[in-house]
Amino acid sequence: MTAVASAPAIASQQAATDGPLLAHLLRRAGFGATPAELDSYCQRGYDATVEWLLHPEYRPGLDEDIIERYYIDWKESRNIEGALTETVYRMNGNAGARPLQEKIALFWHGVFATGLAKVLHEKTMLNQIDMFRQYGLGSFRELLAQLARDPAMIFWLDNNFNHKDAINENWGRELLELFSMGVGMDGQANYTEDDVQEAARAFTGWTIDDDNVASIPYGKTPWRFRYDADDHDDGAKTFLGETGNFNGDDVIDIICRQPATARFVSRHIYNFFVADDAPVPAWQNTPPADPEAIALLESEYFRSGYNIRAMLRVLFNADFFKSETARFARVKSPTEVVVGTLHLVGDFKFPRAGVLATALECRYMNQDLLNPPSVEGWHTGKEWIDSGSMVERINFVADELGNPAHSGIRSIVDRLTAGGESLGAADIVDGCLELLGWVILRDDNRAALVAQAAEALEGGAAPEQVILNTLRMIGSTREYQFA
Amino acid sequence: MTTVVEYPLSVAGLYQYHDVIGLLSGGGPGFSGPVSVALGPDGLLHVASRANPNQPEAVRVSRCTVGGDFVGEFCGWGEAPGQFIWVTAIAFGPDGNLYLADENTHRISKFTAEGRFLGCWGEFGAGPGQLNRPSGMAFAPDGTLLVVDSLNDRVQRFTAGGNLLAAWGESGAGPGEFDMPWGVAVDAGGAVYVSDWRNDRVQKFDAGGGFIAEFDGRDGGDGLARPNGLAVDGDGRIYVCDWMNDRVQVMSASGRVIDTLIGHSGTSKWARTFLDANPDIEEKLNAAAQNIELKRRFYRPTAVAVSDDGLVFVADCYRHRVQIYRRA
Repeated sequence: MTAVASAPAIASQQAATDGPLLAHLLRRAGFGATPAELDSYCQRGYDATVEWLLHPEYRPGLDEDIIERYYIDWKESRNIEGALTETVYRMNGNAGARPLQEKIALFWHGVFATGLAKVLHEKTMLNQIDMFRQYGLGSFRELLAQLARDPAMIFWLDNNFNHKDAINENWGRELLELFSMGVGMDGQANYTEDDVQEAARAFTGWTIDDDNVASIPYGKTPWRFRYDADDHDDGAKTFLGETGNFNGDDVIDIICRQPATARFVSRHIYNFFVADDAPVPAWQNTPPADPEAIALLESEYFRSGYNIRAMLRVLFNADFFKSETARFARVKSPTEVVVGTLHLVGDFKFPRAGVLATALECRYMNQDLLNPPSVEGWHTGKEWIDSGSMVERINFVADELGNPAHSGIRSIVDRLTAGGESLGAADIVDGCLELLGWVILRDDNRAALVAQAAEALEGGAAPEQVILNTLRMIGSTREYQFA
Repeated sequence: MTTVVEYPLSVAGLYQYHDVIGLLSGGGPGFSGPVSVALGPDGLLHVASRANPNQPEAVRVSRCTVGGDFVGEFCGWGEAPGQFIWVTAIAFGPDGNLYLADENTHRISKFTAEGRFLGCWGEFGAGPGQLNRPSGMAFAPDGTLLVVDSLNDRVQRFTAGGNLLAAWGESGAGPGEFDMPWGVAVDAGGAVYVSDWRNDRVQKFDAGGGFIAEFDGRDGGDGLARPNGLAVDGDGRIYVCDWMNDRVQVMSASGRVIDTLIGHSGTSKWARTFLDANPDIEEKLNAAAQNIELKRRFYRPTAVAVSDDGLVFVADCYRHRVQIYRRA
C-alpha cells in the first residue's frame, strides 16, 4: 500500500507549470530556491524574475556590521580557510536576495582564476571577489579594466615585476589567452607572440604599493593598485594590427572590439549557465556545442556594448536555456552543492560559530575557493566527480537535508504535513522532489524511494521521519548532483 | 623636540598617548583580535582574544604587566565547562575572580585571575535569566553583575553566582529599548551605561533600570557609529569605543563629548623584538604610505578600561594591541 489518502495540494496548477522552469532558472542564475522563494517567483512570473535577478543592486546586501561583530577575524582575514569561509558565508547570505550577484562572482572567479597559493594575502583576494560582485554584470570592458588594476591579479601574474626596461609578459599573455580572447577560434590563432609582448609593454608601471604578506605585528592591510608613470613604457606599440602609444586601457579597448573576445565570453557564459562545453584549451579547434546559441550571445555582446547583463538577459530568455533538455544538464560545482544546500536548509543566515567546518566541505569536494589549481581555474563538468568527492557530496547533502533542526527542513516537513491528511508514500516522495526544486528522478530511482517510504509507513514510521529519510535519499541520488 | 611625535595628545589635549602592548600572535606575548581588557586585583592587565576558528589555541586570556611584560595566559577552546569559543567580555568581581562571557555557549564562566576554572552558569533562551549571546559585563558597586543579553535586547542583573535579580529592556529604538546592545559600565553611584549598538547611542539608567538619558555623541561632530566597549572613570567621565568611527569618545557625565582618542601607537616591546629579527618586514611596512595609519591609528577599538591612576587601556582589536593613554 503506497497511498492511504489523496495527495495533498502541494502545488497549484500554475506553480506546477512555472515551478520547474523557475527552479531551473534559479539553479543556474543562483544557488537554487527555497519553496517559499519559488512561490514568490511563480507569482512574479518568469520574465519579471529574470529582470529581478539581473538587478541585484536594487536590494540590500548583507548587514556588514553584524558580520563584522561576530566574525571579527574576517575584517583582515589572515588565513586561506578563513577566506574560503567568508566567501561561502557571503554567497549563502546573498543567495536569497542577490543570487545572481553571487553566481556571477563565482563565474568570474573561475574564469579569472587567481589563487592564494601564490597571492598569500587573503583580504586582497576577497577584495577581488567583491570586485566581481560589483562589476561582474556590467561592461566586460570595465571588468577587464578593474581586473588589470586588481592587486591580487597583479601579484598573481607578476605584473609588479613588469618594468619598462624589463618586460614580464605573464599578465599580458594570460590576459589574451585565458581572460579575453583565447588562443584561437575556428581553427585560427587569435593573436601572435608579438601581440603578447606589446600588451605586456602597455601594462608596464601597473603595480601595487605593497606586497607585504606578513600578518605580524599589526595584522594585514589589503594591497592597493598604483600606477607608476616613471616605470611605464610610453613608446609606440603595435597590437592586434593597431599602432599607437598604447597604455593598458587602450589594449583593453582593442581586445574588447575583437570577434574572438565575443566568442570567448559567449562560450564561457554558455558553459557556466547552460551546459558543460569542451575545455577552454580545446576551443581553438573545437566548435561550440550549440553554434546558434553562441552566435546569439556574440551578437548581443556587440549590440549591448560588451554588457554582461544584456547577454544574460538574452540567454535566460532563450529557448536553448529554457528547454527541458537543458535542465539538470550540468554537474553542480562543489560551491553550488554547499551553498545551495545551506540556502535551502536556511543555515548560517545569521552569524554563528561553526561555519568554518561547513565551508571546508567545498575543499573536500575539490573546489578550494580562492585557491584554484592553476590560472586555468577548475576543470568543470564530470571532472568535479571522483569517488572521494562523491562521498563527500552525498554525506554532506544527506546530513543537511535530514536535519529537522534546520528551519528550511522544518518548513518542508510542515508544508507536507500541513493538510492533516494521511500522506501516502508517493505523496511524500513527489512532495519532497517538488520542494527540493522540482528534482526529476529516473523512474526506477523514484520507484525505489516510493517503495522504501511505503515500507516505512507500513512499519508504523511517523510521516515526519519518512519525509526526512526521503529527503536524505533524494540528496543521495545521482540526479541531485546535477543543476 | 621629538616629544610631540613620541607622546602625542588626544584631539582636545586632555589625554596623552602613553604606551602600547601587543602584536599579532596566536600564543605567548601578543594578542589575536583582543575584544576585552580588564585590570586584575594583582595589577596585571588581562586581555581576551577572540582570534579565529583556525587558531583555537589563540582564543585566550593573556596576562601581562601594565609595562608590557608577558606573564601568562589561559585558554581552552571548546564548549565544555571551563572552555570558551566566542569570548566577548571579561570582568573582575569583588571576589578577585575573573568572569568571562562566551556568546557561543551563552554562559558566564568564572576563573581565578591565574586562569583556574571555578564554575559557570547560564543557558540559552529568552526566559528570565536565560541568555542569547551575552556580550558586555560589568560589576556594580554592590557586587552584582550586569550582563548585556544582546540578542534578547535587554540587560540582566545577576548575583555573582548567576541568580537573576532584575532585567530591563526590549527590542526597539525608544528610551529603554535596545537593538543588539553590546557594552556596559557602571559608575561609582551605580548608574548603568549601555552601548546600544545598532541604535548608535549610549543609554544611561539608574541602578534599577530606569531610563535617565541617551547620548549619541552628535555634539562632537559625527555621531556614534556602532558603539561597543564602555568604561567610566572615578570622575564620571564616560569612555565609549566608537567602533565604526575607529575612535574612542570621551564624554562628560552629562554625555557631552569632551575629547577624542584616535590612536597614536608606537611600536610595542613585543613588536620591536619581532621587527628587529625580521628587518625585511619592517622595510616593507615602512615602504608603503598606507602603513603609517596602520601602525598608529585605532582599527575597530572594541573595549576600554580605566585605572585608578588615570590610565586608559583601549583594545585596538584589528591591530592586535592595547593602546594606553594617560590623563594629561
